[in-house]
Amino acid sequence: MLATVVKLIARRLLAAVPILLVVSALLFCVLRLLPVDPAAMSLPPTATIAQIEAKRREMGLDRPLPEQYAMWLKAALHGDFGRSIQFGRQAGGLVAASLPATIELAAAAMILAAILGFGGGLLLFHLRGTLFESIADLGSILLLSIPEFLWGLILLFVFGVVLHALPFTGEVSPNLPQPDITGFILLDSLLVGRFDVFLSACRHLILPAFALGLAFSPTIMRVLRSSLFDIYHEDYIQQARLRGLSETQILLRHALKNAILPTLTLAGVQFGILFSGTLLVEVIYSYPGMGNLMVDAVRNADLPLIQAIALTYCIVVLIINTLVDALHIVLNPKLRTH
Amino acid sequence: MAFKLRRRSFLQLATAAAASIGAMPSRAATSAAAKDSASIGWPNDVPSWDPNQRFTPDAQSIFKAVFDQPLGQSTTLKLTPALLKTWKLSEDALSMDVELRDDVTFHNGDKMTTEDFRYTFFERPKSGTKLDTANSWRKVQDIVIASPTRATMKFSSPAPTAPQWLAFLGSFVVPKKYMETGGLDNFLKKPIGSGPYKLAEYELNSRIVLERYDNYWGGKPKLERVTIEIIKDPSARVAAIQSGQVDFTINVPVREVQRFQKDPAFAAGLDPISRVILIQARNDLAFADKNVRLAAHHAINKVALSKAFYGAAAVPLSVLATPGTPGYIADYHFKYDPALAKQLLAKSKFGPNNPVKIGFATTNGQFPSDYDVARAIAQMWKEVGIEADLQVIDYAKYFELNRARKLPEATLYSWDNATGDPEIFLGYQLNPKMPFSPWKDQDIGNQVLALFNVADYKKRIAGYRALERYAVEQGASMPLLQSIVTDVRKRNLHYTKYNNGWVLPQTFHWV
Repeated sequence: MLATVVKLIARRLLAAVPILLVVSALLFCVLRLLPVDPAAMSLPPTATIAQIEAKRREMGLDRPLPEQYAMWLKAALHGDFGRSIQFGRQAGGLVAASLPATIELAAAAMILAAILGFGGGLLLFHLRGTLFESIADLGSILLLSIPEFLWGLILLFVFGVVLHALPFTGEVSPNLPQPDITGFILLDSLLVGRFDVFLSACRHLILPAFALGLAFSPTIMRVLRSSLFDIYHEDYIQQARLRGLSETQILLRHALKNAILPTLTLAGVQFGILFSGTLLVEVIYSYPGMGNLMVDAVRNADLPLIQAIALTYCIVVLIINTLVDALHIVLNPKLRTH
Repeated sequence: MAFKLRRRSFLQLATAAAASIGAMPSRAATSAAAKDSASIGWPNDVPSWDPNQRFTPDAQSIFKAVFDQPLGQSTTLKLTPALLKTWKLSEDALSMDVELRDDVTFHNGDKMTTEDFRYTFFERPKSGTKLDTANSWRKVQDIVIASPTRATMKFSSPAPTAPQWLAFLGSFVVPKKYMETGGLDNFLKKPIGSGPYKLAEYELNSRIVLERYDNYWGGKPKLERVTIEIIKDPSARVAAIQSGQVDFTINVPVREVQRFQKDPAFAAGLDPISRVILIQARNDLAFADKNVRLAAHHAINKVALSKAFYGAAAVPLSVLATPGTPGYIADYHFKYDPALAKQLLAKSKFGPNNPVKIGFATTNGQFPSDYDVARAIAQMWKEVGIEADLQVIDYAKYFELNRARKLPEATLYSWDNATGDPEIFLGYQLNPKMPFSPWKDQDIGNQVLALFNVADYKKRIAGYRALERYAVEQGASMPLLQSIVTDVRKRNLHYTKYNNGWVLPQTFHWV
């Protein structure tokens, strides 16, 4: 099994190269088509036309687009994504500084979504044929129809403003230090032995993670229920019943194992959407991740930063999809032989 | 945009609803008088920790906590000694002798000397065009050092506003040795200044933690630690102060300020500052006609705009200067007169049935209620016979559009001038060589350029006051309102208010 997983990852890594090239080229072209002059924006407003022209030459903007892309790619391969126009710092460094917060948020949201999704899916399935089925169904549709930013606002209002139960700005409380070793606040707080910081970071993570997770969980719920419905029509379920297994045993030993595969596939695909959902949620909760950075970059037409962030999103989604496929192999023996 | 409106509307509604049902127990009372820290909800992060790099008015208050300027300003914008004990501009404004304090240290313990002063105002700006200070200090030919505390600034042409600029945007003294040995990237990661606070922690787009610098040469701040939480959404800032997550915040909607003013746990203010909301005019296209420009100005009911969007706190302006600044003319009033506007348009064969068509650019969200103000003005214009095609532009693209002469006849704009000096109000707005306005007329332009070289302070101010009036009467200048800054704080947290809107953490204290 391990060999198959390693092969898959190697294959995916190879396939990722052309994908990233195409995505980066597309991004590069689209951003260059915007009516924004990166050279002029890199200079103070008082810069003369001659100074802007000189800057344009220095940045290679006077060269044909393919040549510009080749220059950018060469630099990017050496880890240089250009200097952010707005911050005056390396775009790669800015992304690296904000990525851990987004990863932590997305991971926490994914865990919550999985718990809520699988729990809700099993509940929906359990209620099939009962009076409560329609109510539960309606509830899941309602959850599905509320986007993450609206969840963000609802939770902020209820738990932050009205109940004062949870904080809703930043990563940790203002009176606590923010250790910075790996960039992952949960990990760093544990590494320095500050459990108060760890707890504060967890409390700050709850609302944004729930906002994302709640928006994402209904999809898992409904797909799991549908998969279970399909599987319960399979012969082996009837045979299991004939063997005298209880309904719980059938569900846990046979049905769930098979129903989980399509759910997992969908979750993997949807993770990209969840990851991009961090954009709005981070702004609402002033969470210092990549989404917040992206909003700033777009507002200031900071092309090098937009390009670096968008490419990072692409890489993260590719990695997640690869991991999901690897997990598929682990869970589904049939795939190991193909 | 649809999202933005929904999101904001929701929060506003939600906050108001909670207030009305009394569902939000106030946390303001929890602030103990002995507290030596405070948290501030601030709308924007600093663009960079290089204070000389970008002129961002909103970041000045934060920079002023970490870095020091050669000169300070009183609450009424008078220049005061700061790093400089004395300064003397020569009669021809071609040089300025300065004397630096000898007890100033940077946060790493290094003593500040005139070497740092020279580095900041001469060597760095001359090293390239990447710094905004390269423009503000372009006239500096050299800074001759006489001793570690004495130097003379030499200018290539008269620089009558050099003292004002020493207290203005980007003029923060940076440590030469630290920057040269560690490099810029190191400085950006670990910036040090000589201000009353050290930067203790910085999380991009999230928070800035300041800790008191005990060796500060000036008065020690009362608070040992100030945390600035970056909360970009105005409604989220309201929620944060309401829930007690921050002790102070600024730039909240006017209606929220009015609500907080009724709450005994909070203090809230609406204060006019030295920032002007104006309409920038082009001197060509449909605005080549003076009648159209003047009609456009006469048709605007500034009092109504102030009442509708700024709680009547924004002072209607007739000249491009704010009350209390040297260029302000208290007894001059440009009339709101729609009938006169119609008459002027009729002279040019326009009217409500035959409107003159103009473009009208505005930002949306760059300053409070900008888009709404523009829409209201377009409506006022329509009534007299000016049909405005409202175009939303990104502030980031303003200079590019202006440089390419792509801005339309009128642009709604906000112009900040923390010094209050008329050169930086009218002078910059109508100087055809500068990129801050689309007005490129030579008649007024030449008058402005002449004033840039007047060394005598009284003559210079008198010249600007005369020109302000003339520019308004020519339809070149259309000032609307004095901008306001709003703030909400816990009642027992106090700070010093400045007429230019500075919110300095070093002035915060609990009572």
